[in-house]
Amino acid sequence: MNAIEIEHLTYSYPGAEQPTLKDITVQIKEGDFLAIVGNNGCGKSTFCKTLNGLIPQFISGDFDGTVLACGLDTSSTDVGTLAKKVGYVYQDFENQIIRPTVLDDASYACLNYAMTDYRERGLRALEQCGLNGKQDDYIWQLSGGQTHLLALAGAVSLQPDVLILDEPIAQLDPMHADRIYAVLRELNEKYKKTIIVIEHHTEYIADFCNHVMLMKDGQVQWTLPTNEALRHVEELQECNIFPPQVTIAAYRMQKAGQFPQNAVWPTTVEEGKAAFISKQQRHEEKAPASANSGETVAAFENVSVGYRSVKGEPHVVYSDLNLEIHKGDKVALIGSNGAGKSTLMKMLVGLLKPTAGEVRLNGSSIRDVKPEALSRQVSLVYQNPEDMFIKDSIGADIAYAMEVRNITDSQKRTDELLERFRLTELRDRDGRLLSGGQMRRASLAIGIALNPGILMLDEPTANLDIATRKEIMRTLDDLKAITETVIIATHDMQLVCEWADRIIVLCGGEVVADGNRDEIFANQEIVEKVGIRPPEIFTMGQVLCPDALCYTIDEFLNCFEGRSETNASG
Amino acid sequence: MRAVEKLSENILDKLSIDFLRNQVLKNAYGNNDTVIAGMDPRILLLWYLFFGLVPWFVNDLPFLTGCFLLVAITTLLARVAGLVLFLFAIGVFSQTGYLLVVTLLFGGDASAIAPLLVLTLKVATVSLASITIFSGLDPDKLSNGLMWYGCPERLSFSISYAYRILPLLMEEFQNVLLSYRLRGNPPEHESFVGKIKYLIYQIKIIIHAFYPLMLNTAKRSRTTVEVLEIKGYRYAAVNREVKKIKLSSLRVGNNDLLFLAISFLWVAVTVLISTLI
Repeated sequence: MNAIEIEHLTYSYPGAEQPTLKDITVQIKEGDFLAIVGNNGCGKSTFCKTLNGLIPQFISGDFDGTVLACGLDTSSTDVGTLAKKVGYVYQDFENQIIRPTVLDDASYACLNYAMTDYRERGLRALEQCGLNGKQDDYIWQLSGGQTHLLALAGAVSLQPDVLILDEPIAQLDPMHADRIYAVLRELNEKYKKTIIVIEHHTEYIADFCNHVMLMKDGQVQWTLPTNEALRHVEELQECNIFPPQVTIAAYRMQKAGQFPQNAVWPTTVEEGKAAFISKQQRHEEKAPASANSGETVAAFENVSVGYRSVKGEPHVVYSDLNLEIHKGDKVALIGSNGAGKSTLMKMLVGLLKPTAGEVRLNGSSIRDVKPEALSRQVSLVYQNPEDMFIKDSIGADIAYAMEVRNITDSQKRTDELLERFRLTELRDRDGRLLSGGQMRRASLAIGIALNPGILMLDEPTANLDIATRKEIMRTLDDLKAITETVIIATHDMQLVCEWADRIIVLCGGEVVADGNRDEIFANQEIVEKVGIRPPEIFTMGQVLCPDALCYTIDEFLNCFEGRSETNASG
Repeated sequence: MRAVEKLSENILDKLSIDFLRNQVLKNAYGNNDTVIAGMDPRILLLWYLFFGLVPWFVNDLPFLTGCFLLVAITTLLARVAGLVLFLFAIGVFSQTGYLLVVTLLFGGDASAIAPLLVLTLKVATVSLASITIFSGLDPDKLSNGLMWYGCPERLSFSISYAYRILPLLMEEFQNVLLSYRLRGNPPEHESFVGKIKYLIYQIKIIIHAFYPLMLNTAKRSRTTVEVLEIKGYRYAAVNREVKKIKLSSLRVGNNDLLFLAISFLWVAVTVLISTLI
């Protein structure tokens, strides 16, 4: 039986000239775990909103065709009835939480639909989503991952047959991401729910999903079993979807004639074990040693700091932290959500004063210096770019810091920055209305407007699709030439491997490791303790040969080749 | 001059938005294990009806003092957040308290002081009673209580939702202000004139920060509005069944009756004392 049946669906938003969805006919089977992929703006989210009746009932527009969700026609069944059949979790899931306590929020929908057992339903949903024991917590006590699980529980509480999640792991560290997918798998296998995710992370798709549906320009290109779908390497890349690194490696090997022509490309590390083999002669490049003896530009000396909490004792983030950042360092700060990465950055720009110890910038303590006075030395780009837009156009935003300082050629420099970040066309637009990648570029331009010696970026690649992410990574590479010292806090291990020459690992308010990528990623103890998930290609290399350290596909290709019948037996 | 200096230094530093946010949360949810928070909201609202209204119409000093002491004790029991108490103190002082002080300083005698004292006591009693109710109870209980007395569902939803969204708004506001701090260039504030300029600068920035705040919030609320629709908020608002379920959690317990009895006894005793004097 089909959970979703769509025939000739065409939809355009009110006032739009082009339809967002064009003549879609598709069926989704009951009990499927389906990933929807496609580049930004191809209509994925719009498509999903037609499944629970929000389109066309709540968001109007031109709607043609029929959508049947669990046998109900979404254009005539009311949204409330549909909500009991189809659950939806938004990408900006924080805004989906309505109530202050966990159980309250999980059972809120049930209460509204006058179900007398709403509390039990809420509790059951929390249990299904792995949040048991948290029911009396307040929502601001939850971590990002737990908040997401709560948003999921809010949808699950109505026990719908279909669950839709829009980019469930975009903002999460790998541990929390694994957790979400484990919960989804259980909902799928144990509770027989049909799960539909919009997902960019193909490694997760390979591990968890049964089918993949590719959307392009408002149309469904195909729906295929995951393994097969991910092997459409060229087609996926055309749509800015990047297949798992092991698949790309196999694809490139085959092109270079190092992979047997008739063999299938692996999509997971597990399959890769049988597909790859070490080359006889390996050309490994050692990463340059991280010993940077440049002068110290920033230092934390015995720093302690904490936050006020709503109840009880303040929450201590750091006690007795010691750390030095040298001139020219390209530092990646890694660690799970809540390890203190943002706190460290806030201290360095003077927004947060340590309760004990000193923070020094270029040798002098910043305890009594106002953040305004530091902005030429150090600059911070927030995780959420919207908060950096304080003027009504990005041109004015970039110029702001220079203009209030009466810098003579501010206009010229603004133009240069707009040019460099490819924003000239958009200079009069409000930053909030730009796309994710444009917003991120604008925030970077704002961040370096004053030409600071130290630039700090909080999660610069979070929430971006892979193509935009690549673009930001290129921009970050450019930045290496402009800004001497750059510190990035991130969960994105590909970024860490390709960009950083010094990695600082934070865990529980302590620096547990500090070194170059070989020193960090080859250190099993640290990787396990902190829950670092290295790029897939690195894991693949390690599985095949424990002392291989390949951080990129290129490096992997230098060390390994496809396993053919002949060298498998020999 | 010192005051201006202090104000100018403080406005963004000491009284940070972070602090305000913390206090708001503390006020709403930080004291849910107190005696007051554990009581039935309907009883408390009834109690409030008395202590919020009666003092206005009575001029009897012992009675007012008695009421004041009682609500002072309930305020202590409710463990109200520091900021609220501070605002209360400022409020009472600016209403009538300063007159009392001035009268005393300029040699006013008891005949002038008594009426002022009465007025101050009235204001203080009513304010503390309100603080006990509105900050001692968590917003959900309060809105359930109001709903029981027939207030429209929209009002009670607004109260509890406001508390949910307020911390978010403040965080957003804080981030926008931080952007101004990081990129702005405030005037020098060593001299006295500089300090006044700095104060004006800060106020200006706070006003400017509202524009991005509103836009960011508007962007966020798009999702929230859709979610409210999915989660059936609109159905609940017109469904009597839902109201019944919500209110079924309200129970009058022994504590509530005890509380009413003690309050009643206390008032009776003060009335007795005032007739004896």
